[in-house]
Amino acid sequence: MEIKKCYIYLNGRAIGSVDNPAKFVNEVRTSRRKGQISGEVNISYMEKLGEVRVNTDRGRIRKPYIIVENGQPKLTTEMIEKIKRNEINFAYLLRNGVVEFLDAEEEENALIAFFRKDVTPETTHLEFDLASVFGLTINTSPFPEHNALARHAMSANFIKQSQGLYSTNFDQRFDSRGYLLYYPQVPIVTTAAYDYANIKSHPSGQNFVVAISTYYGYNMADAIVINKSAVDRGLGRSVFYKSYSDEERRYPGGQRDKFRIPPPTAEGYMGEHAYSKLSEDGIIEPEVSVDEGDVLIGKVAPPRFLEENIGAGGLEEKVRDDSVVLKAGENGTIDSVIATETTGATRIVKVRVRSQRIPEKGDKFASRHGQKGVIALLANQEDMPFSENGIVPDLLLNPHSIPTRLTFGHLLEMLGGKVGAVSGKKVDGSAFTTSGKNRIDEYGNTLSQYGFDRHGDEILYDGITGRPFKAKIFTGVVYYNRLYHMVSNKIQVRSRGKVQILTHQPTEGKARQGALRFGEMERDALIGHGASLLLKERMLDQSDKTSVLVCSQCGSMGYYDYIKRTAICPLCGGNSLEEIEISYAFKVLLDEIKSLHILPSVKLNE
Amino acid sequence: MAMEKNANKYKVNYGEPVGMLAAQSVGEPGTQMILRTFHYAGIEATIATSGLPRIVELVDVKKKPATPITYVYFNSDIEKNFEKSDAMSKKISEIKVSSLVKRVVENFSKSTVKLVLDKQALAAEELTPNQVAQKIAKLMSVETEVNEGNILIKLHTKSLKEIRVTGVRIMKKVIQGIEDAGKALIQQSKDGSFYVITAGSNISEVMKLDGVDKSRTYTNDVFAMYKLFGIEAARNTLANELRKTLEEQKISVDDRHLLLVADAMTYSGTIKGVGRHGLSGQKNSVFARAAYEETVKHLVNAALFSEVDPMKGVTENILVGKQIPIGTGAVKLAIKKEDIKKVKSGE
Ligand SMILES: [Zn+2]
Repeated sequence: MEIKKCYIYLNGRAIGSVDNPAKFVNEVRTSRRKGQISGEVNISYMEKLGEVRVNTDRGRIRKPYIIVENGQPKLTTEMIEKIKRNEINFAYLLRNGVVEFLDAEEEENALIAFFRKDVTPETTHLEFDLASVFGLTINTSPFPEHNALARHAMSANFIKQSQGLYSTNFDQRFDSRGYLLYYPQVPIVTTAAYDYANIKSHPSGQNFVVAISTYYGYNMADAIVINKSAVDRGLGRSVFYKSYSDEERRYPGGQRDKFRIPPPTAEGYMGEHAYSKLSEDGIIEPEVSVDEGDVLIGKVAPPRFLEENIGAGGLEEKVRDDSVVLKAGENGTIDSVIATETTGATRIVKVRVRSQRIPEKGDKFASRHGQKGVIALLANQEDMPFSENGIVPDLLLNPHSIPTRLTFGHLLEMLGGKVGAVSGKKVDGSAFTTSGKNRIDEYGNTLSQYGFDRHGDEILYDGITGRPFKAKIFTGVVYYNRLYHMVSNKIQVRSRGKVQILTHQPTEGKARQGALRFGEMERDALIGHGASLLLKERMLDQSDKTSVLVCSQCGSMGYYDYIKRTAICPLCGGNSLEEIEISYAFKVLLDEIKSLHILPSVKLNE
Repeated sequence: MAMEKNANKYKVNYGEPVGMLAAQSVGEPGTQMILRTFHYAGIEATIATSGLPRIVELVDVKKKPATPITYVYFNSDIEKNFEKSDAMSKKISEIKVSSLVKRVVENFSKSTVKLVLDKQALAAEELTPNQVAQKIAKLMSVETEVNEGNILIKLHTKSLKEIRVTGVRIMKKVIQGIEDAGKALIQQSKDGSFYVITAGSNISEVMKLDGVDKSRTYTNDVFAMYKLFGIEAARNTLANELRKTLEEQKISVDDRHLLLVADAMTYSGTIKGVGRHGLSGQKNSVFARAAYEETVKHLVNAALFSEVDPMKGVTENILVGKQIPIGTGAVKLAIKKEDIKKVKSGE
């Protein structure tokens, strides 16, 4: 084959050419391994394209491998011994050309062996461990090789959302929101990644006794039944921290905010009761229980418009109430208050409110296998199924949640968790350590040693009738995370309430006590059913119904003159006006059309 | 009689929002099409636009579809016989000079243009250089000569421009088949008879050929069908093409929805699209038009012509807060309230 001139691309830009690409690439790699050029440089030779690609930019995903030369891995047994004795570390291996990082493009040039015994003279690299084909995220779930990838993606998301010990100095922090589990546990079934990534010191869940069983239809379609008595003993209990803060701002013209209980003369004064929990300095005290509408930080600000202050002479300065109020639907106890100064020498106050979150109907839980569910029933312990040993499950998972999702890892964890619970030992669930069959055999042997069914099945008795179930129920221990989606933070109701100023339609969103939007697709659904009166109720009667007077002669909008006791059309001066019901949005539209210098007129029938 | 009775049983009720149902019934499965693009084996799938782009093309009424296809069927004596069908296919299949020529060499001093022929292409079309040369001579009325398998064209002009223009013009000439019909491919249907699909649409010329079954031959070009056969044919083509495109994606939509779409697009006698320049842009109601697109334009124009909104549609009645004239809102009292009082009081 003729040797073509090969172009060199540096971070995607052609910078030159080389006559002998293979030799050039080798030279670059050698000097990288010697430490002459940065270890972050990756080079690859695309033979078919006749290109050499050098990448030095950021954002590439790179992975370390042991370098193999002439069929010999450069990580020798002596080195491994030294590492065990803590004499050398990873950085040493990297510096001395034992280990190197490859990016996706350079990997195309490599022949990577999984095990030492697979190394041939052609091999260029060696994997550290089979589990390293997965990243950290996947390696934190046990038995990852038994789950579908989509479930791993979900699982990673759920772990991100889980409540746990997110920080050991949580009591010193003023996070805007913090979720803390009361009794976090280290999982019984862990993986190697739990040690390497120091996850054990920040656990985010608890080991639940799980039975795969239905319960009077209460755990259909991803709903779960939880043992109420276990919840009363502290299962899944967490605390929710929310921080509020405010600052004494300075304004041009020498005016400034002031922390204090606002005087009744202040603009927007909320009434004596709202400020009753504040101490003399206008700031709330720790361990005071607060409810919605209570003021946490009293503050007065200068009025919005300067003129208001002119001419007040001698009287008390006019101020505006700018206090921080606990939002609607929230309550709790003041956990901590700090007052300090910013670098700009203005006073700043932070208040942290704590409230307990006991698991309730609608709260979300998930295992590490992407199996999520919301509580549909908190069943009393005496009503829950129990085993002959008197063990009552904490959670009942519907059997239908397993086969369609193919989360075999969840089943393995139940078995492994049970083994750990009965033997008092940690169970290793790292990827690819042994085959699934071996694991089942091993766990089965241990279980039968302790007098349990080797498949993890239990004879359960119905808590309500006391009769044994006809089928044996698969029972085990699974590490469950409580996710931060909790009903108490989301629940909201409204019958009548605030409306928007412009359109007179109901407000939107929880923070504004809003209504739920009856959108375009919902509108289409009602049209599709021909339900015209229901549609009218949604779009008009329950929304922005207004009645206006319309002139029957010229069709413009008029008003009622209460002094003369007649309706008047301002355009033609006529007195025969009819009252019609229209949406306020339509009135706004007519007004806006008028602002375009177009005169709309309303013709009335009958 | 029984059939009539049965058909009457399934009549749409008065006030049924058929338009909304049609829109939703076509639109909802349409959302699944974006994600799924799967093809059938065979030549048709490779040359025809399919899926959502095709639906968009149909409802927006593009003057020329991206991939026009003509389905040519033959009379019964031809379609059973491969040789005869193949001969017909050759008559239709459009061969341009450019597809047979590798390169053009102009000689300005001798006033000649040499066409270097592509021997493989020539062999594939079963043509000889001589045949091509004669055809060109006839079409362009020029002198031609075959030299070492290439064609030499002799011109009687010294004008450089003319020589070059001739070279370019020759390439566009059709030496066999029907212009714009495109390449024809012979196909066999399930019953064993042969037909031809062409990657082009010149159905009026194809129809002129002897042996072509005029009752079955059609094109997927809705506009071509409209010009040749009229609005009813266009309406049927539209509905058929919509159904075919949806069926290709394993989406089944009731025919009546598609027929309604096709009817709405063609009832005026010409083909109208569904978008801004078609059905939605030509609604009776000012408010309905303004609610859709180009709000200010519609309001200003309505003011210029002192338009009156008849308030007969859905959108405008929701806007002002009236009952929509659909379903339960479509019916009205036949007797006036006052009249009822009169009857009761015995007047
Ligand atoms: Zn008037």
